[in-house]
This record gives sequence, C-alpha cells and structure tokens, in this order.
Amino acid sequence: MTILSIRSISKFYGRIRALHEVSFDVPPASVFGVLGPNGSGKTTLLGIVMDVLKASGGSYSWFGEAPSEKQRQQIGTLLETPNFYHYLSGEQNLRITAAIKGKGEADIPRVLEMVKLTERKHSKFSTYSLGMKQRLALAACLLGDPQVLVFDEPTNGLDPVGIAETRELIKELSGAGKTVLLASHLLDEVEKVCTHVAILQRGVLLTAGPVNEVLRDEEFIEVGAGPSELVALQVLLKGLTDVKQVQVKEDHVQLYFHGVGMDPAAINRFCFENGVVLTHLQLRKKSLETKFMELTK
Amino acid sequence: MLHLLRVEWLKIKNYRTFWILLAMTILSIPGLSYLIYDLMNNSFPKQKGVQNVVGSPFAFPDVWQTVSWNSSMLFITPAILIITLTTNEFTFKTHRQNIIDGWSRRQFLSVKLVELVMLAVVCTIVVFVTVLVFGCIGNKVAPGQSIWQDSRFIFFYFVQLLSYSTIAFLMALLIRRSGLAIGAFLIYMLAENIIVGIGRHRFKLDGVDYLPEEVTDRLIPQPYLHRIFESSADQLRWEQHVPVYLAVALVYLVVYYLVTDRRITKSDL
Repeated sequence: MTILSIRSISKFYGRIRALHEVSFDVPPASVFGVLGPNGSGKTTLLGIVMDVLKASGGSYSWFGEAPSEKQRQQIGTLLETPNFYHYLSGEQNLRITAAIKGKGEADIPRVLEMVKLTERKHSKFSTYSLGMKQRLALAACLLGDPQVLVFDEPTNGLDPVGIAETRELIKELSGAGKTVLLASHLLDEVEKVCTHVAILQRGVLLTAGPVNEVLRDEEFIEVGAGPSELVALQVLLKGLTDVKQVQVKEDHVQLYFHGVGMDPAAINRFCFENGVVLTHLQLRKKSLETKFMELTK
Repeated sequence: MLHLLRVEWLKIKNYRTFWILLAMTILSIPGLSYLIYDLMNNSFPKQKGVQNVVGSPFAFPDVWQTVSWNSSMLFITPAILIITLTTNEFTFKTHRQNIIDGWSRRQFLSVKLVELVMLAVVCTIVVFVTVLVFGCIGNKVAPGQSIWQDSRFIFFYFVQLLSYSTIAFLMALLIRRSGLAIGAFLIYMLAENIIVGIGRHRFKLDGVDYLPEEVTDRLIPQPYLHRIFESSADQLRWEQHVPVYLAVALVYLVVYYLVTDRRITKSDL
C-alpha cells in the first residue's frame, strides 16, 4: 500500500506558480526525501498534503484513502517552524498535541527524554533556544509512536551535534519500519538518510525514484592526446560500444558510458591499436554536488 | 465537542492574560451598575421631584433594562478577550499546527465559536445575578407585579453581546493581528455610530437602524429619563419593532458564520 500518493498537484499564489503538476508516490517503510533549493515548493507541497494550504489543482491520498483529519492524527508532522503556545511550558504544549491526536499523556515523558528536554519541560516555550524549540517539535512528532513522520527541514537551527542526532533518529525510525517524508535543501542530508528522493525545482518535479538511481555517482573517463590528434580521438571513441556521451573539453575528452562502463586499460589498448597515443587517461567520479547543481540548474 | 473543549481548556488554563481579562469582564458588570447606582442615590441631593423624572431604574421591573443597558456598554473587554484568544493562534501559527496534528478546519472554527457563546452565556448569567441583587435591595415589588416582568432584556443583552463578540471574532479572523483587529473593531464601532447619528438626524433615514450593531443596540433602549423623552407612541413603536430587530440580528449572525466558515475552510491557513 502506498503511504502517500500525490497526483498532478499545482499551486498558484496569484500569478506565481509555486507547484506545477507534481506527482509521485511514497512507498511504505521508505525514507523519502523531497530535495530542492530554497523556494522550490517543498514546504508548499507538504502544507497541501497536511491540509493547511489548498491546492489549485490535483489531488492526494494518504494510505490509499481520501484525506481526512483522522489520518493526520496518525502522522507526526513538523512543518516549517515549531508552532507552540509561547506562554505554556514544553510539557503543557505536548499535552495539547497529545489531546488533539487522541493519544494519552503517558507517552510525553518518553518523547521528552528522546529529544533530551526532560530537564527543561517546565520552562516556558518562549524561553527555549531555537534548537530546543526544534527538538520540542520533534518530540511532538514522536508522540504516540506514529508509523508515518513528515519532517520539513528537521535540522534547521540545530547545532552540529543536534544535526547528527536528528539524522541518527531518522535512521532509527527507518530501521523500525516507519515511513519518513523528509523535505530538505541539503543534498548531503538526503544522501545520508534517504532511500528515495524527489527533486523539485521552481515547483516542477525534475525526477523521483530510489536514491541510488537518481543520485548515483556517475563515473567517467578522461582521455587526452596531442593537440593534433584530439579530433581523431573523438571520432575514434564514438565507435566504442556502450558509449553514452563524448564531451570534448579544452585539451581532453570526457567519456560517459551506459551501465558499468569500461576498463581504462582496454581503452588505452583500443586507442593505441587504432593509431592514437594517449597522453592522459584517468577514471573520475562526478560529485553528487555537481549532479545536483546540474539537475536544478 | 467535549474533546475539542478540553483542548481549548488546556490552552487557556495556564494563560494569565485570559484570566485577567475574564475577571475584568465579570467584575465590570456589577461594578459599572454599582457606580451608576451610587451616583444616582448618593451624589445628588435627594429631592422629591427626582423620583418622578428618572423613576426607579434600579427597582423591579426597570432594573432588568437598566442593568442590561449598563452592561451592554462593556462589550469591549469580552471583544478583546475573543480577539486575543483568536489572534494568538495566528501569531503562534498554532492554528496550522492544530490542523496538522489532526483537527479538521471546521473543528477549529466550531470550538472557537462555542467558546464565544460560552463567554456570552457567562456574562449573561452575571448580568442576571446583578439584576436580582440590585432589584432585591432596590425596593419592594408592587403588589400584583412579578419580578420577572421585563426579564426579556436579559435575552436582548445576550443577543447583543453575541453579535458584538462575533464581529470581534470576524475581525480577528480576517486581520489576524491582535492590535490591528482591536483597532479595526473600535473604529468600526465609532464609524457605525457616526453613520447612524448623521443618517437618522440629518437625512431621516430609518434604514440606519438596521446596521449590524445599531440593530442590537435598539433592543435595549436607554433606560434613564425615558419617562420624559419617550412618549407612549415611541414605546409602542419599539414594542412592535422588537421581533424585527431580533430577526435582523439573527440574519447578521448567520452571515458572520458563513463568512468565517468560508474563510477557514476554503483558504490557505
């Protein structure tokens, strides 16, 4: 059963198009990253599936059913910023969350302990630091041990230790078979914790699928020859089997392959046998950053 | 609904501003009437003619109208209370969080409206008790007269407060900032009074009687000196118009409800 199914969702703010016909499915027990630069529509999309924003078009379903408030009670959600009553303590705020979700208050000490806020549970929310507010929001998500969690930029405002702990927590949740929907502009975060990813750019879905397919490290081979032989080299290399793309740079050629690629030694031999002496041969990896920049360019 | 109210109770239980405003609302009702009572009884030289001019506004049956009218001038503290509780949700973005956590948009709206009605009921009960206290210390009821005569003013007070409170709620919902919403509410009060004043006296327009606040104001006529300024024809005209005022007030309440419902259920939060 698909946890969340999004079908052609569009959203306009006046003439500004925030989302354009975005569709994807979140499979069960996945950590699904929604990746995109700031302003790409991630929060808008999550706002729509949590019913705080109204889509201009399209539809979505949770657990294969039409959306309802009952479903949201079964989902732990942290959207954008931690939203709590400033004049109440952390614990009092969690009582409200528990009451709305229809969960008992017995779980409150456990979640406070999980985010290390037990000592400050009686302090007013307004006295919390940014990191503590974020951790209280995480605690509210974890109340009642929901099977599905939605996190929008969960490491915002956290210090490096907090960031590491949050990522560890997401991995633990995933390990326990829970589904996590995670919006982030940090490629590194998505790469480290997600099993699936959807990449958004200016409201358009660029690609979606398992992380190891979408964000796979791409290998290529850099080949160089004397300036007079560069053109001949390019023609020659195009004749190789499995070649996807040949890019000519200033003083070398970049070779991209379909599938697993080719052994550098075989390329060297092939060129030499065809009368081109290589001056440079190197197996290289395109970094994920470069890939992401290319995808969202 | 009880479940929703329990959540609201958790929100206000430890909110000091709420309790201060509620105390001010409740205490000001007998307080203002006592002030006027004291002024009338102890600050003017007691002469025999006074009784004939002002009557006995704090004795049965006039006390129903007097205390209701006095209290109706105190609409501002309940309005501030409602605006504060509503705009808090927008300031803290907890209106979104309540929905995210598992309330429907309509549940969020309905519990706020129930709170508003509950506040109006509490104020009405306080007015009722105040009437009984003043009425009982005021003077003896004439033989053959019931103390309940004219008790309908209590109901008119309830309708009026409900109407003012709903306008305040509407302002809070549309403007979302407490200071601005309170300002807009007060400006609207003032503006309507000016429009009514000019419309009625300069242009002789009867239609101004049916503006949102004026129509409920007219349910409780000014109780002092009415013996000298009001003819029995005026009295009869008012008596005939009461059902119309009530009906128009009800129509306004329905319109306010439809606007708030549309605002909450159809738009981005």
